[in-house]
Amino acid sequence: MRFARRYLAQRLVASVVTLLGVSIIVFLMVRVLPGDPARVIAGLLASEEDVQRIRVELGLEQPLHVQYGIFFTRLLQGDLGTSARTSQPVLVELQPRLAATLKLALTSAALAALLGIAAGTLAATRPYSRFDYLLSVSTLFGVSMPVYWLGLMLIIVFAVQLNWLPAAGSEDSGSIVLPTLTLAAFSVALIARMTRASVLEVLGQDYVRTARAKGLPEAAVVVRHALKNALIPIITVVGLQFGTLLGGAVLTESVFGWPGMGLLLVDSIFSRDYAMVQGIVLVFSALFILTNLIVDLLYAVIDPRIHYG
Amino acid sequence: MFVATVGILTMLGAAGGAAGAATTFRGAVGVDPDTLDPVQMTTTTVANMVDYVVETLTFIDQEGKIRPGLAESWSMSSDGKQYTLKLRKGVTFHDGTAFDAKAVKWNFDRLADSSVRVPIRAPYPIEKTDILDASTVKITLKRPSAPLILALSWTTSGIVSPASAVKHGNEYKNIVHPVGTGPYVFKERRKGESLTVTKYDKYWGKKPFYDTVVFRIVPEAATRESLLLAGQVDLIVLPPVADLPALNRNSAVKVLLAPSDRTIFVAFNTQKAPFTDPRVRQALNYAVDKQAIIKNVLFGAADPMDAPTAPSLFGYCKQGAYEFNPAKAKQLLAEASVKPGTRVSFLHPTGRYTQDKEVSQAIAGFLREVGLEASLQTMDWPSYIRTITTPLDKGNTTELHLLGWAPAFLDSSQQMLQFLTSYHPPGGLATSFYRDPKVDEMIVAADSEAKPDKRKELYCQISRKVWSEAPWIFLYVQRYPIVHSAKIRDISSIPNEKFYAVYARPR
Repeated sequence: MRFARRYLAQRLVASVVTLLGVSIIVFLMVRVLPGDPARVIAGLLASEEDVQRIRVELGLEQPLHVQYGIFFTRLLQGDLGTSARTSQPVLVELQPRLAATLKLALTSAALAALLGIAAGTLAATRPYSRFDYLLSVSTLFGVSMPVYWLGLMLIIVFAVQLNWLPAAGSEDSGSIVLPTLTLAAFSVALIARMTRASVLEVLGQDYVRTARAKGLPEAAVVVRHALKNALIPIITVVGLQFGTLLGGAVLTESVFGWPGMGLLLVDSIFSRDYAMVQGIVLVFSALFILTNLIVDLLYAVIDPRIHYG
Repeated sequence: MFVATVGILTMLGAAGGAAGAATTFRGAVGVDPDTLDPVQMTTTTVANMVDYVVETLTFIDQEGKIRPGLAESWSMSSDGKQYTLKLRKGVTFHDGTAFDAKAVKWNFDRLADSSVRVPIRAPYPIEKTDILDASTVKITLKRPSAPLILALSWTTSGIVSPASAVKHGNEYKNIVHPVGTGPYVFKERRKGESLTVTKYDKYWGKKPFYDTVVFRIVPEAATRESLLLAGQVDLIVLPPVADLPALNRNSAVKVLLAPSDRTIFVAFNTQKAPFTDPRVRQALNYAVDKQAIIKNVLFGAADPMDAPTAPSLFGYCKQGAYEFNPAKAKQLLAEASVKPGTRVSFLHPTGRYTQDKEVSQAIAGFLREVGLEASLQTMDWPSYIRTITTPLDKGNTTELHLLGWAPAFLDSSQQMLQFLTSYHPPGGLATSFYRDPKVDEMIVAADSEAKPDKRKELYCQISRKVWSEAPWIFLYVQRYPIVHSAKIRDISSIPNEKFYAVYARPR
């Protein structure tokens, strides 16, 4: 346990360093983009004086390192700055958006893990059966389908034709269904494929044969022995997929008008809202890093053979 | 705490909105408001929603005519620098305070206050506002401006309750919860999701039908269309333009191709050879088949330009047409000694105006027909703006670029800026660098001309000159597609890309 604690500390330090790097990259990235953000914010009809005033307000007159210094000092105090687009603190704007995105990503991750692991395990226990073929065809479909197209198709079928579900927004009950399906589609397919391969491999191992030889029921063999041991690579994929889901939220949220961080990111990029873009990318990065950390720690829980130190 | 509560509500997804009570009107728009503060607004779509709550001293009606609003009448001094406005009596703000001269003065002082961010301040050169009596104000301008009355119809000059500026999270410099005098009261805003207003029982004017109006924010055009087709909203703006023919055939919905004032044109850099020669510029006007572009690329959602301004502007003066005539174009190019195969650079934005990329490609095709090789280049909007507004002495090497221009209020003065020398970058956005001292003189004169007939005549003269000198390829005036459920009536539009659905009702 002592080792685990040291490992945890190391990982935390590494995470902070990574975040620091992200903050520098994000800071530079939004500033080397061509175009005058002050003009974009002010609008085409604004006078030159007003544009100049916004430039000063945003601190765009300062040299880069000074701008970063200000940005970083504030960051340490938990201040992500003020959105140029809405004149509100970035943190205040982000909170409800983060909640909406997390809700969507977590639901999708849960659905993807559940469906993916179940389908993959079933396929592995019946290799080359009709179900297995069906799964490989549909997962191929799932992996290669553009999120955007899938979203619009689901809307046309379930909202316009059948009128079962809301086409957009997050206010109605049921409005989370279509975005969740859209977002989860890719991950379900990937997790199912991964699970199938992993379980299939484990099923061929000696201890499984031993378990069967002991006369254990097949279901117990698969779930208690095979699946448990096959779970490590699957957890990695699920963890990584969660990061992908956060990224995928950008497209899904646009299609469904889901008021999360992805939608806000798109709005903010188009309006050159520096502070907001930085804030969103930092939060996304932090979530991604946190997910990786959790995945690594889960290994130790599932497989006691893994020691960190 | 408030934000956290809204966040949790958003997370939980308050149930029941979809079905909607019988007296809820639901619209879907593509833009999430950056601000609801009238003076800070720049986006017509946002202004359109705020107009439900906040009223202006004057209104523009569906025909584009000026009408009394919170001001019942007005007069202008002969030098065009002073305006006296008689205010409507018996009007109260939603917070119960009285609308009067004091309130107007407070709002106009704020509009003129340089410490407040006002992106569209130029049309309001207010020096000071004086209270003559409880319902009369006198506005003194820094310079004469005949179109002020029209400018007072634009949302930037909307009147909010001064008492409300320190309540509901509002600050003097930033109003987040507008309290006006309009037919609807601001109720709730869910960022990225919706804006809700409810009927104001003490409204001074005609009372609307619906108790509640909800605008949903849906950035994706195809999704907005789906919402309407699924019956989940009653009105949308800007469906995918390629779907217009199908929507027109669908009896469940009605398509309004509303006239707008957004002109789309290709600006020449008139200070760069061979575009210094008016014959070359005229030639290219003859070379492009605008009708074909409107029919095949815009699915009918535009009208060809027949003057330098849109017909909805005061001072519009029809000039005829540059008919599609490639032979004449070739002849003019030959006269100007432009050799076939000459390469020209052609910049265009993408996703900014309806089908802008596709239109640019079509134009390049027409130019090729008359012997000009246009090399197309696209950029993201901020880079694009920076490139075309580079001053001439800072190395602007553009030749042709596609641009749109939509005056915030319907007056030719707002369009003619494009032909004013002092409006060349960096002083403004006249990106064709058109330069004519006579035109400059007439534009300035028209700005301070008190007599409407005389002003109109001045704009006619400017239009004639600009049309023949052709600093642009005059393309078309965009139409603004609004689609609504066939079960609802009394929906129309105002010609500055606003829908007018305040008095919508079930059929």
